[in-house]
Amino acid sequence: MATDTPAPTGIGVLRRDFRTDPFFDGAAADRLVIRRCADCDLWLAPDATCCPGCGSEEPGWADAAGDATLVTWTVVHGRPAEDGTVPPPAVLALVELTEGPWLHTRLVGVERAALREGLPLTAVFEHPGEGESYLLFRPA
Amino acid sequence: MNAAIAGLGMTELGKVYGRSPRRLAADAVRLAAADAGLALTELDGLLVSHGLGGSPGIELADTLGLRDLRLLTQMNSFGATAGAMVSYAAASVLSGAATTVACVFSDAPLKPEQSAGSAYHRDAREWYGFGGMTAALGLRSVNAFYALAAQRHMARYGTTSEQLGAIAVSTRQWAARNPLAQMREPITLADHQASRWVAEPLHLLDCCLVSNGAIAVIVTSADRAADLARPPVHVWGWGQGHPGHRKERGSEFGLTTGAAVSGPVAMKMAGITPADVDVCQLYDCYTYTVLVSLEDYGFCAKGEGGAFAESGALAPGGALPTNTGGGQLSGYYMWGMTPLSEAVIQARGDGGERQAPANDVILVSGNGGILDHHSTLIVSPHRKGA
Repeated sequence: MATDTPAPTGIGVLRRDFRTDPFFDGAAADRLVIRRCADCDLWLAPDATCCPGCGSEEPGWADAAGDATLVTWTVVHGRPAEDGTVPPPAVLALVELTEGPWLHTRLVGVERAALREGLPLTAVFEHPGEGESYLLFRPA
Repeated sequence: MNAAIAGLGMTELGKVYGRSPRRLAADAVRLAAADAGLALTELDGLLVSHGLGGSPGIELADTLGLRDLRLLTQMNSFGATAGAMVSYAAASVLSGAATTVACVFSDAPLKPEQSAGSAYHRDAREWYGFGGMTAALGLRSVNAFYALAAQRHMARYGTTSEQLGAIAVSTRQWAARNPLAQMREPITLADHQASRWVAEPLHLLDCCLVSNGAIAVIVTSADRAADLARPPVHVWGWGQGHPGHRKERGSEFGLTTGAAVSGPVAMKMAGITPADVDVCQLYDCYTYTVLVSLEDYGFCAKGEGGAFAESGALAPGGALPTNTGGGQLSGYYMWGMTPLSEAVIQARGDGGERQAPANDVILVSGNGGILDHHSTLIVSPHRKGA
């Protein structure tokens, strides 16, 4: 799932906290790792803090397929920098993983005219020189 | 028997610098008490709320020299708080827990030499954890999250930017008639369409103002209010709705709000239906918020909010005068106190050039978070059931 498109500009440096190791370890290896409660057979977003099925506060982790569809999106225009240069617009989105959970993310390699509800997407990972990998999505 | 709003106090609103949130809140409570013809010592309840500029704290009671209060707390359901405060105050009055309760909101997020938007925008070089990841990728402002919601409504129901623009235009038409409004220059649909993108599909003129200031109301019994200085504004009903939109398949995010719950609850308590409502004061952090709230209250069918707005119903002379003071888009941004304060003004018949032709039943909404929290009040110049 690695990508050869240039890294989008305007993304900040990502750092781990105590809840994110499995997710960022996976992202570093181009794998989308999300929460999964095996007891309840429920897939959950990576930031889920408990399983809505059984209340477990430590649902497990599992590899998601990396396939998603577009729920909704916004094109955000950055603020001009001090030197007057304006960053390119970013397409930010809510996507629905095949497994069910939604993620807030950023789209790459997508034409604005192609944006529509249900657009098939695939996870891609960027590995910046500093900080953790970025999870992005592009048209499948 | 019902509770009533007996006093309204509003500080200067907008680019008001040099006063702390507590000082602003104290000023608003004093103004509200004076408006009602009450001495501060007659208050036995105080409910405090705030925006992003810092809390007045319940120490506000001490600042005001209030003693022997029976009710004192800080409340927060974001933009739904004003309605929640009035309903708690009304329930306290009706139960006998307190007799005369001030409810205040204050905020001072604006600083000199700083853009209004920066008060609601996060920026950093490094971001931590899952929350930080969303922000690092670019979702750094409330605007972007509401844009996601609005875009979903547009994609699902065919709602257009021009329909959102109709709300911006009608709201400004009302603001032009309100001396308290911050933005009174008329705008056209073309102005709306030409205004810069904030986060597509939201233009600048789809977004509310940011204001410093404070607003307070005083809630007491209808009988007591009748003996005070100003015409009572009777509280007929209230409700809350907190949908807890799930972030997973099947979520209604962007399509419905808590108004779908709080509206029927409040209207049932008030003994009315949407057809009885003469005036709406809807929380308008964005034009889209008005549109989706109108649907959820049942003023039009789900998905038809755009056509309803475009029909001119909300504008001066329209069938459902809405945000008659210019709302948060053009009037002033005091979170839920913006719609509530204008409702009090309309119920009293104090609207001057912008007074709605009928004011018997006024619906007030509050909306907080990213459509996470909603409150509804039904108020009237008449006693409930009279």
